[in-house]
Amino acid sequence: MLKAKGRNWIHSLRTKWITLYLLRIFAFSLAIASVLAALAIFVLHLSPWIFAVIFLLVFGIALLIKPIWKTKDEDFSRYVNNRFPELEESADLLLKNPEELSMLQQLQRDKIENIILSIPQPKEPVKKLYLAIAFLLIGLLMSFGITKIPVSSESQVVQKEQKPTSTIKENVPIEISGISATIIPPAYTGKPERKQKQLLINAETGAEIVWRIETNLSVKSLKIIFNDKEAVSLKPTNAKAREWKFSKVLTKSGFYQLEINGKKSDLYQMEVIPDLPVTIKITQPKQHTTIDVGQPQKINLTADLSDDYGINDAYISATMASGKGEGVSFTEKKLTFNSPFNNKKNIRLSKQIDLKSLGMKPGDELYFFIKAMDNHGQSSRSDVFFVSIVDTTELMSMAGMTNGVNLVPEYFRSQRQIIIDTEKLLKEQSTLSGEAFKIRSNELGIDQKLLRLRYGQFLGEENETEIGVDHDDHDGHADHKGGEEKFGDVTAIMDKYSHKHDIAEDATFFEPEMKAQLKAVLTEMWDSELHLRTYKPQEALPFEYKALRLLKDLQQKSRAYVAKTTIKTASLKPEKRLSGELDKITQPVQKMSFEQKENRVAHLKIALALMESRKTGKKFLEGDKYLLNETEKYMIGAAADNPATYLNALTSLRKLSANNNLNYQDIDIVQQAIQKMIKGEVAKPQNNDAQPASSLYQNYFNNLTGAGRSNGF
Amino acid sequence: MDFKYIAIFSCLFLLIFLLYKEVRRTNKDRLIWRILASIIAVACFMLLMVPVKYETHIKKNSNEIVLLTEGTNLDSVAKVQVEKYVLASADLKRSKAKSIADLPYFLATHQDIRKLDIYGYGLSEEELKATKGYEVNFHPSENPQGIISASWQHKIKTSEQLTVQGVYQNTGKNSIKLLLKGLGNAIDSISIGGKSNKNFSFQTRPKQTGKAVYQLIALQGKDTLAIEPVPFLVGNQSPMKVLILASFPDFEYKFLKKWLYENQYPVAFRTQISKNKFSSDFLNIESFNLNKINSSALKKFDVLIIDEEELAAINPEEIASINAAVTGGLGLLVRVSSPKSTAPISGTFGRGESAPAKDQQLSISLKENKYNFSKLPLAQSLFLKTTENDQPLVMDGSGRTLVNSSLKGSGKISMSTIPATFNWLLSGKKTDYSTYWSAILSNAARRKTENQTVKIIPQFPVVSEQTRLVIDLAESGKIPALKIDSINLAPRQNIALPFQWDAVFWPSHSGWRNLSINQSIESLFIYKKSDWLARRNQQKINSNLEFVKALKNIKPIGQSKDLIIEKEISIWWFFIGFLVASAFLWIESRIFNDK
Repeated sequence: MLKAKGRNWIHSLRTKWITLYLLRIFAFSLAIASVLAALAIFVLHLSPWIFAVIFLLVFGIALLIKPIWKTKDEDFSRYVNNRFPELEESADLLLKNPEELSMLQQLQRDKIENIILSIPQPKEPVKKLYLAIAFLLIGLLMSFGITKIPVSSESQVVQKEQKPTSTIKENVPIEISGISATIIPPAYTGKPERKQKQLLINAETGAEIVWRIETNLSVKSLKIIFNDKEAVSLKPTNAKAREWKFSKVLTKSGFYQLEINGKKSDLYQMEVIPDLPVTIKITQPKQHTTIDVGQPQKINLTADLSDDYGINDAYISATMASGKGEGVSFTEKKLTFNSPFNNKKNIRLSKQIDLKSLGMKPGDELYFFIKAMDNHGQSSRSDVFFVSIVDTTELMSMAGMTNGVNLVPEYFRSQRQIIIDTEKLLKEQSTLSGEAFKIRSNELGIDQKLLRLRYGQFLGEENETEIGVDHDDHDGHADHKGGEEKFGDVTAIMDKYSHKHDIAEDATFFEPEMKAQLKAVLTEMWDSELHLRTYKPQEALPFEYKALRLLKDLQQKSRAYVAKTTIKTASLKPEKRLSGELDKITQPVQKMSFEQKENRVAHLKIALALMESRKTGKKFLEGDKYLLNETEKYMIGAAADNPATYLNALTSLRKLSANNNLNYQDIDIVQQAIQKMIKGEVAKPQNNDAQPASSLYQNYFNNLTGAGRSNGF
Repeated sequence: MDFKYIAIFSCLFLLIFLLYKEVRRTNKDRLIWRILASIIAVACFMLLMVPVKYETHIKKNSNEIVLLTEGTNLDSVAKVQVEKYVLASADLKRSKAKSIADLPYFLATHQDIRKLDIYGYGLSEEELKATKGYEVNFHPSENPQGIISASWQHKIKTSEQLTVQGVYQNTGKNSIKLLLKGLGNAIDSISIGGKSNKNFSFQTRPKQTGKAVYQLIALQGKDTLAIEPVPFLVGNQSPMKVLILASFPDFEYKFLKKWLYENQYPVAFRTQISKNKFSSDFLNIESFNLNKINSSALKKFDVLIIDEEELAAINPEEIASINAAVTGGLGLLVRVSSPKSTAPISGTFGRGESAPAKDQQLSISLKENKYNFSKLPLAQSLFLKTTENDQPLVMDGSGRTLVNSSLKGSGKISMSTIPATFNWLLSGKKTDYSTYWSAILSNAARRKTENQTVKIIPQFPVVSEQTRLVIDLAESGKIPALKIDSINLAPRQNIALPFQWDAVFWPSHSGWRNLSINQSIESLFIYKKSDWLARRNQQKINSNLEFVKALKNIKPIGQSKDLIIEKEISIWWFFIGFLVASAFLWIESRIFNDK
């Protein structure tokens, strides 16, 4: 018996080892699978069965990685030999058939057998199992955590969209046992086709709707009527006339109803979800941007684009304006974005626009907008944005200020006066005494000097001695020296050393050419004064004339000249002129009357009052039927455009006109809808009312006014 | 001499004669009895002619009663020891008080009653009349909760605003929401705090043509406290006719003309193009000669719009006919642009000038309903002065009058200093333009005389209560044929005003009723007994309080506590005595004498 004990020990070690290992990988794969399954179920919304699949997969893989069942007792004996040195590398002897062993081996085996039974079995697999269990716990915690992650917004939207359709209850004709509508959205939306059991349809523009209708009886005719106008007879798809199919491409909102064997059903709404163009929001730069001197001539453009189905393309359309006044020139450029669009729904675009590389100079302006196309070919564009570069030369220029005021004309007469006086003096020379002649000549010289000084002011000249020459010594400045200087008076000290002039810029707003001419005038005056002062008026005269000519030239320069153009007028008929006869003139008379083509509003208004009288329990009379029909016609028109608003009212109106039952709610709905249909009710002038004009009142009034006149007090 | 004494003397003579006859009779049997019978017969005969009156004293307690009317809090009267009576109209079955079917009859049959203590909301007008001469004490109940007063136009014209105003009395602690609902829509609402009275005013522009019943609904949380009907009628009116005389065509006229034309108003427009040469437009109206304005042409129109230059340019005859037409009811709207008046009519209002607003924007508002228009890009410096005889229509932001009007004869003269309003149309503010011109033209235009007016007394006629109709007619000669639905009414002419008639009827059911007056039909609304209860009860309380107050003023201060009243002994007693006595005499002479 003893012989089998050692063998059994090793064998039991193996079974225990394998069992623990299996438990361990079971725990591991359970942990991994639970985390993965939690992700799959709560994030990707897959069925809970996925857990079993994932678990089996993970477990299988784990098993295949280490096929532990293939291990043999020999492997364990080797392990035991390594592990326990007291076995003296002889554990495998225990597994061998004792008969085949040699004597020595037998001895050794007996010895080992005794030892091995006292050895405790290794603890490692148990420890590893604990680790695995801890791992499992962590996995469970993680999967629990995943279930608590807030569901992403996208899936919420999906849920919201689905909710209302499921809550509305529809009245389906009893003949119909099953109905389904398949909505196939157009390809560009990228939406899958969907199937619904509802008759209320919400579909994208251009979607194809396929109705499949099953009836519980064989039906002779089944019609589908759109917007109460367009009736289509359906053909059965099977012989028993119990299955029907119809398809239509939806482009406009409206409503429809089914007609089974001539019996009309309720009205069902068809709402079109329009494809909106791309919305463009430019976050950078601002609408008006100015780039100052020193700033980099670049702008960073950032824009957010979004569309309901996908953006196909977007580019910047930029227009540059350069030059000014009449010489403005425009150049247009198309700038593309580098990023790919790939039919994304939302995209953030950014681009750096280098103004210099666009060829913009200071003073130029850039106008740009973003144009985007969605995948259905609809285009949209953003607001226009402005970028301008400041022109510094523009600021420094004095254009528009130089020729502002005409300062000259007043003084020209004096020069002429001097000439006249000089000529007069020369004429009278023979009669005058020498002394008197000299005095008068000198006086003329003084006049000439005064005139010269006055013109000199325009050139910024300050004193009488010099003309436009730089001056170092001033007689005026010498006076200051006599005054006491205050100690520490900075301005006084500054005055002493600085050279103050009148501000030349204030006085001489003249072009250089004009300045030169003025200087020439002054030179001539100077010469004329010289000769007058030296009592030689005859010689002064040519200088005086030259000065006057130059002044005249100056005067002419400041005038603008417009050439005369030729026009041809119709020849006048003098016999008709100013006769004052108007008998040939006809008096124009216009006559128009406004015809309102339809009485829609008037009908609707009376219909409102009719509903009001129905509320009090009065039944509709035969005469009211016409009005109700008219109202229904208008409401069908309104419902075809806005089924969500008017379809209920239309149903209620039909109920009201067909039934004798009084239903206040229906009347309210109809009245609300009619009021919505009457738009824009504004005030109109109306006469005020007066009491019935009895002759008594009239007499009283006449007496009052008559008395006031005749008595006169 | 009094009849009484003649009767007494003649009876005495008769008695003496009879006694003499009895005594002198041969058969002396039963003489005493016969004498007695004669005396009794004659005495009774006399008393038949001359009734016997006597005075009695009535003690106080026996002649005071308590009247319980509707709305009485029974607990509050439980302690009162006086005999209680309850009016049949009050629904107080729980009380053990005796019921009175008709108060005037009850008072006439109970002469001893001198004092009335009224509890509850009080007596109706008719019943109050019967209590004249009594000492009346009124112990009003707590004020009723609900709408205690309300008014609205019962008849409006298309596109006019309906204004429902009134007072809500909230006696409870909780706040209440008052809602105006009409044509299926909730139009407006206010909330009324607990223990407070609040005025309310709702405005709406009803869209229907014809009759409608709006509702004032009082809500407390989800509970509906009351639903009161607000019946009214929207009627169409033939559009007013407008004549425009312009000295020169400008945009203001052009746009006004177009707007009137598109709203189907008949418009005649004349503008001078040269001396005595005019261009004229006839829109929605038959053409006629407009070169000369005369009174027959002006009679066709309701309002004349003219600018001051034109007014100065037309000849005096035309001015005279315009003057006469305005006195006869025509509306005149003068557009002025200069600070000095150049024509005699246009001098009606003083003018002034002041600096325009700095931003060159004119903000104006209607004076009547405080409607604020959007700003006009005008630098307005000209304004009009107002006197107490004027009615300013349009004011600017600083309170200066821009459009003024005053009466002249039975017509109206209005004057406007606003040079251009078409900017509203250009900037798409159609509502402003319409509101402005509607207000101005409505105010100026000739008043439309109605064929008849109907006044209903009481204001809120109620089923099975007497309703009186007072009808004013244009002509006074004929008796009007009045009919309510198919019932003929008998009209009664007013003694002083021959054109005024009234009639009385008792409505049998509520709702709209047709009143036909000589073929033309008016609508009147009869309320249910439960409608506007708070209002009626409050009115009852008020009228009772006033009645009691008036009584107190009349009554002498020191009134005797014991009342002395004169009573008459019924003459039947004397008749019986006379009959018995004369019968005895007759039988005695026939039967006993035969023996």
